[in-house]
Amino acid sequence: MTSDQGSREIDLTVTINGMEVRRRVPARLLLSDFIRDEVGLTGTHVGCEHGYCGACTVIADGDAIRSCSTLAVQVDGSDIRTVEDLASDGELTPMQQAFHENHAMQCGFCTAGFLMTLESVDPDDYREPEQVVELLSGNLCRCTGYQNIVKAVCSVWGVEGRRRDSQ
Amino acid sequence: MKPAAFDYCRPASIDEAAAALASSDSAKVLAGGQSLVPSMNFRISQPSLLVDIRDVEGLDGLEVDQDGVSIGASVTQSRVMNSDEAYSAVPGLRRALRFVGHLQIRNRGTVCGSLAHADPAAELPALAMAAGARLTVRGPQGERTAAADGFYLGPYWTGLEQSEIITGVCFPAEAPGTVTVVDEIARRSGDFAVVGLAAAFDLEDGSVGGARLVSFGVSGRPQRLAAAEEAVRGFHAGAAGDGLYGAAYEDAADAVGDIHASGEYRREALGSLLVRTARAVSASNGGKAGAR
Ligand SMILES: Cc1cc2nc3c(=O)[nH]c(=O)nc-3n(C[C@H](O)[C@H](O)[C@H](O)COP(=O)(O)OP(=O)(O)OC[C@H]3O[C@@H](n4cnc5c(N)ncnc54)[C@H](O)[C@@H]3O)c2cc1C
Ligand code: FES
Ligand code: FES
Repeated sequence: MTSDQGSREIDLTVTINGMEVRRRVPARLLLSDFIRDEVGLTGTHVGCEHGYCGACTVIADGDAIRSCSTLAVQVDGSDIRTVEDLASDGELTPMQQAFHENHAMQCGFCTAGFLMTLESVDPDDYREPEQVVELLSGNLCRCTGYQNIVKAVCSVWGVEGRRRDSQ
Repeated sequence: MKPAAFDYCRPASIDEAAAALASSDSAKVLAGGQSLVPSMNFRISQPSLLVDIRDVEGLDGLEVDQDGVSIGASVTQSRVMNSDEAYSAVPGLRRALRFVGHLQIRNRGTVCGSLAHADPAAELPALAMAAGARLTVRGPQGERTAAADGFYLGPYWTGLEQSEIITGVCFPAEAPGTVTVVDEIARRSGDFAVVGLAAAFDLEDGSVGGARLVSFGVSGRPQRLAAAEEAVRGFHAGAAGDGLYGAAYEDAADAVGDIHASGEYRREALGSLLVRTARAVSASNGGKAGAR
């Protein structure tokens, strides 16, 4: 089933959290598995593996993406950031600290995905609680009921006011 | 939950991409991968060769001029959504895209990939029909163009041959007096529509002169609503909605039922959605209705 048009294995170069990684990988390797199994960064979690839950969210060239719905070969040449890149020397970012203080996580399975989505955007674009809720709609949490997550984000970004709906 | 093995190539020119795609009848184009990779994870799709078009020269253009908005095959949904120039020429694009998945999906998913994928509940194919968009298609025999209206044949089924690539799409600039809106009913923000409507209304003095109305998520493909397009002529903000509701209900006779909603629910909801939309648009008299 091999064709002369393509190959099963590809040489890949990416920067992950500032570190250059070169590997020969199967074309079918998902970015999430590359990050976890090849590079050994297990902070990125894998839930649904079909683009719905957002647990696997990482940042590629500044944009939040689903690592489970992206082949590793698709990010050849890209700059990838994962949750391990947030805290430095054990010091939490203000958002991580706010998650901690607001009890915005219980099991923590979804947390890395939320944090990377939040890290990828410009807070100035999200000035209303509704906008924060809409931004977070691509990340599922089975534990918290979201209220504390929204509270944590609004506290860091200085978003005030009550939500008009309760979607 | 992992893709089956396949060969992969990332050609630099459209000629090479077309040749690669023609080399095997189970070869597929890989654009953003936001529909294809999940379906490969489930092994619903097991292509032998993926032709990644991200490096193909000439496909990354997003051009806005007086004729409209031209979007190359590798342009992401986010890039179009964030373009103020694209929004002012074709407001329907941003109005449709805000319903497409979530930020993380739109950051990789392409406009042309959505048009090719032809999910019956997708917003962009319906908008393309309502707005009169044209696709540019490259195949082994060369280039052709195709109107979006007429391109959609059934669920995940279009007039595209396996060996053809959509290289771009052009949405004509919204004409003065026309208001294009996209609205839908979905379970949650970001989910596919249970019932959706893409509509371009031509307004004359606060009433509807004519309209191109397209449903999505209702039947197996985006569908022009012929009876409703007749019934909506002359509609104004104070008009009774019964006739329009009934026409849309008739147009949606082949609505499908699934775990989200029955076919009957979809027919009724489509009628309500259309009446609500036509009212809002005529009340605003061609102003800002639907702008969100
Ligand atoms: C969680 C989730 C929610 C989503 N919600 C929505 C939603 O609400 N509304 C919506 O419309 N979409 C939704 N999508 C789908 C998303 O919009 C996809 O990005 C889009 O349908 C496909 O674009 P792509 O560039 O990712 O294409 P790919 O996944 O790369 O390709 C999809 C199909 O189209 C073919 N193809 C792609 N580009 C071309 C081309 N240029 N020429 C010929 N064939 C081509 C491929 O071969 C493949 O068969 C969702 C996806 C996910 C994972
Ligand atoms: S694991 Fe990627 S979206 Fe769920
Ligand atoms: S904290 Fe458990 S899923 Fe969010």
